[in-house]
Parts: sequence; C-alpha cells; structure tokens
Amino acid sequence: MSHPEDLLADYVDGTLAERERAVVDTHLDGCARCSAEIRQAEAAKTALSALEDVPVPFGVTGPVLAEAGRRFERRRGVAWERFQWAAGIAAAAALILVVALNLGGGETQNAATPAAAGASGGTGAAAGAEATAPGAIHFPGIERQPNVDDDPGIQAVALEAADAVVAAEEAKAAEATTAPPAAFASAAQDSTQRTTLAKDCVRQSGIQGPQDVLIRLIEAEFEGTPAYIAVFSEGPGAGQPADHIVVFVVAKDDCRILSTASQRVPPG
Amino acid sequence: MPDPPARDEDLVRRYLSGDRAAFAALVERHERRVYNLALRMTGREEDARDATQDAFLTVLRKLSSFRGEAAFTTWLHRVTVNACYDLLRRRQRAPLLDRGEDDLPAREPPPAPDHADTSSLSMDVRQALLQVPEDFRAVMILHDVHDLRQEEVAAIVGVPVGTVKSRLHRGRIALAKAMGIQQEGRPSGEPGPSGSDEPPDGPGFGERADAAGPSEGTVSP
Repeated sequence: MSHPEDLLADYVDGTLAERERAVVDTHLDGCARCSAEIRQAEAAKTALSALEDVPVPFGVTGPVLAEAGRRFERRRGVAWERFQWAAGIAAAAALILVVALNLGGGETQNAATPAAAGASGGTGAAAGAEATAPGAIHFPGIERQPNVDDDPGIQAVALEAADAVVAAEEAKAAEATTAPPAAFASAAQDSTQRTTLAKDCVRQSGIQGPQDVLIRLIEAEFEGTPAYIAVFSEGPGAGQPADHIVVFVVAKDDCRILSTASQRVPPG
Repeated sequence: MPDPPARDEDLVRRYLSGDRAAFAALVERHERRVYNLALRMTGREEDARDATQDAFLTVLRKLSSFRGEAAFTTWLHRVTVNACYDLLRRRQRAPLLDRGEDDLPAREPPPAPDHADTSSLSMDVRQALLQVPEDFRAVMILHDVHDLRQEEVAAIVGVPVGTVKSRLHRGRIALAKAMGIQQEGRPSGEPGPSGSDEPPDGPGFGERADAAGPSEGTVSP
C-alpha cells in the first residue's frame, strides 16, 4: 500500500485543500499505520503548541550590547580621525593655491592647477574634496572593475592605492613633472553624469566627510550586489603626505554601506 | 497615538548609519524569541545563553553585509539555529567535560524556576524534544512552537518545503514516542495489528531521516 506521506504534515496542520483531505481520509479508513501516526503527530503538535516562552534571564544580552558599544566607539573614532586628516589636507591645498595665485603670472596658475582641472569632471564642489594638491593622486573619474567583488578584492584596491600614493610622493620629490601621476591610467574613464551619480550615492551613504579626499571611484558587483567602491586617501594634514587609505563599498540601489577596508601607506 | 514601530530592516539601516540605539532596539525586540528557540534546541539554560550571545554577536558582525534579500527575522532565525547546531556539536566533541552522562540525549534540564510554563507536561515535552534528531527538532520548534510558516522554515534551515513537511511529520512521531505516546489500534478496529499488512510499529525513524534529505550541514547565512 502506498501512503500519502507528503500530505500527512499538512493534514495534521489542517491546511489541506478539501479534495486532498478527502484523499487522506479515505486512505486512513483502510490504513491502521497512518491512522496511528496521525494520532501521534496530533498529540505532539498539541503538546508543542502548549509550550510557553520563558523570560530571558538577566544579563544574557549584556555582553552583546557591550560589544556593539565598543564597535560603535571604534567606528566613531575612525570617522573623527578621518575628518581631521581630510581637513588638514584641504587646508594645505587651499594654501598652495593662494600662494600660486599671489605669485602672479597666468603660466604659474596653469601649472599649479592641472590636477584640479582634471578632477572637476563631475560636480566636484558638491561632492566633497578631491585631490587638488600637487603630488596628490589625480582623481580619474568613475571606473569599472568587474573583478573587485569581495572583501579581499577591496583590500587589494586599498593596497594598490597605498602604493600609488607612495609613487605620487616619489614623483613629487623628483619634481619630474607637474602632471598627475599615471597611477590609474588603465582605468576606463566614464561620463560626467555617471560620476555624478556615483558621487551622490557616496555622499548619501554618509561615509564621506565634507573634506575627504576621494582618489578613486569604482563601479563593481560586490558579492553579487551592484556597488560603488570609493577610495579615500587620508593623511595627518599640514601638507604631509597621506598615510592611510580607506575603502568603502556602498550599494548602488540605496547607497547603504556594504563593507570597508583600510590600508596604511608605508612611510616613504 | 504612538508611531508604528520601526521595521527591523530600518533599524539595521539606522544602526549602520550611526544610530547606536537601533541595535539595542533590535536585540530587545528579538531576544525573547532567540533565547527560547535556543533553549528548546539545546535543552539547557546555560547553552541557551551561549547560543543567544553567539547568535547576536554573529548578527552584529555581519550586519553590514545584511542585504535585505531575506527578511531580517528569517536571517536571525537561521543564525540562531546555526549557533545551536555549533554549540551542540561542540558539546558532543567534549563528552568528558559532561560527567559521562552524554549517552542519554535527554539531559536533565536546569532546575525549574517558578514560571507558569514549567508544569510537568512542559518539562516532559522539552526533555522529549532532545531525543528527536536536531534537524527534525529545529523544523518542529520553528513551525509548531514559533508558528512560522513551512515556507519560512524552509528558508531558515535551507531545505525544500517538501523536506520540511517530511521532517515535520517524522519529527512529530518521534516526539510522541519520546513522550511515551504509543500507537494504538484504530478505535473502529477492523484490522488488528496482527491482521494488518503494516508493521505494528511503522517504519523506523532512522530510515525516514535519510529519506528526508541531507541532515548534516550548517546553513550559510
């Protein structure tokens, strides 16, 4: 005899359609085994549904909340440091620009600001600071990087950016040229509009302080979610070179934070 | 009139954007559900505390990668069930620490505090639950105690709905047996056990467990 095994749980739950219920009823009339199983299952279900919750003992979630607090403080500390560093870099950049303008000659102006000109592809003023100081990383506009799709991937991006900062500093020290370093020359540059969209999302996510230095913006699928990867350089301010790279991944659809990575820039 | 309570997913978003109280609100909202699920899965207050903490710490750690593809509660249940599995496995691997009484799956539950639910029936059910294999126990607790739909249970434990139905039925029968509820002949009683073409005790539980699908494996969050 074949038994309607797949229907018995729903029979006990009372969720079978009328026709299926009739099929089971007919079977039960002739099957002692299934009838007995149904009675056992009903008794078990009744006993289970009579179980009541017990109150949570005191102190069970205390350690969890304490850990949440520690994580929160760490995050806030990082944000405050980032703000201070970024503010320092912006102040230094402004100072250099003022000096350059005061020195006069149109040629000097042009020579001092190619990075700023290159960086203004999007709505730079609205989206927070980008690299404008000589020797800083040139912001190349939004890029596509299908391979950056997980945490090790963004860590690699952070490492690469740290290397690029070192290279930029070396180029500045050699005073070989005032042109921006070709750090990310292979990156495909994209339209101004796409860059603006991405910057808006980064801003909306709340990760970008008013004067953070955005050096790279990447479009990618992060763990299957379409995302923007924003790379910021941070330094101690006062014209000192960046000593830190922070990478944030935000979802394209609602700009929530998906992940982060950071990397120290090795001292030159 | 007070505002409607915030959705779980909104609390997650608020926490990630810097609202520290939002995580505490999530914990407060769900701790009772998580703790009681863990208590029913593990049978011991001490283990339920550990599993509850493990579950919430996992949630805290992975909150930034919670993408809202599943409902937060589905995810939370899954993390909790996995925390219970991990804990039960750790406990099995360290039998010497447990004073040599581990061959009995139904370990003595903690001394009953004076709550209304610690009637002898409730205690019997809780002890009997521990004799039901974990995968079946989880499905029964989620569906019959926590009132989650079969589809949701399937999403939590990571098996097809058909497997949930099968585990539910076999698990209930195993629980009834563990509670001492035996099969009886039909009251109308035409074919007695001897005249029936069915074995009096039905199929063994173990064989059905295999048929119900893979019983090992932790569900990935």
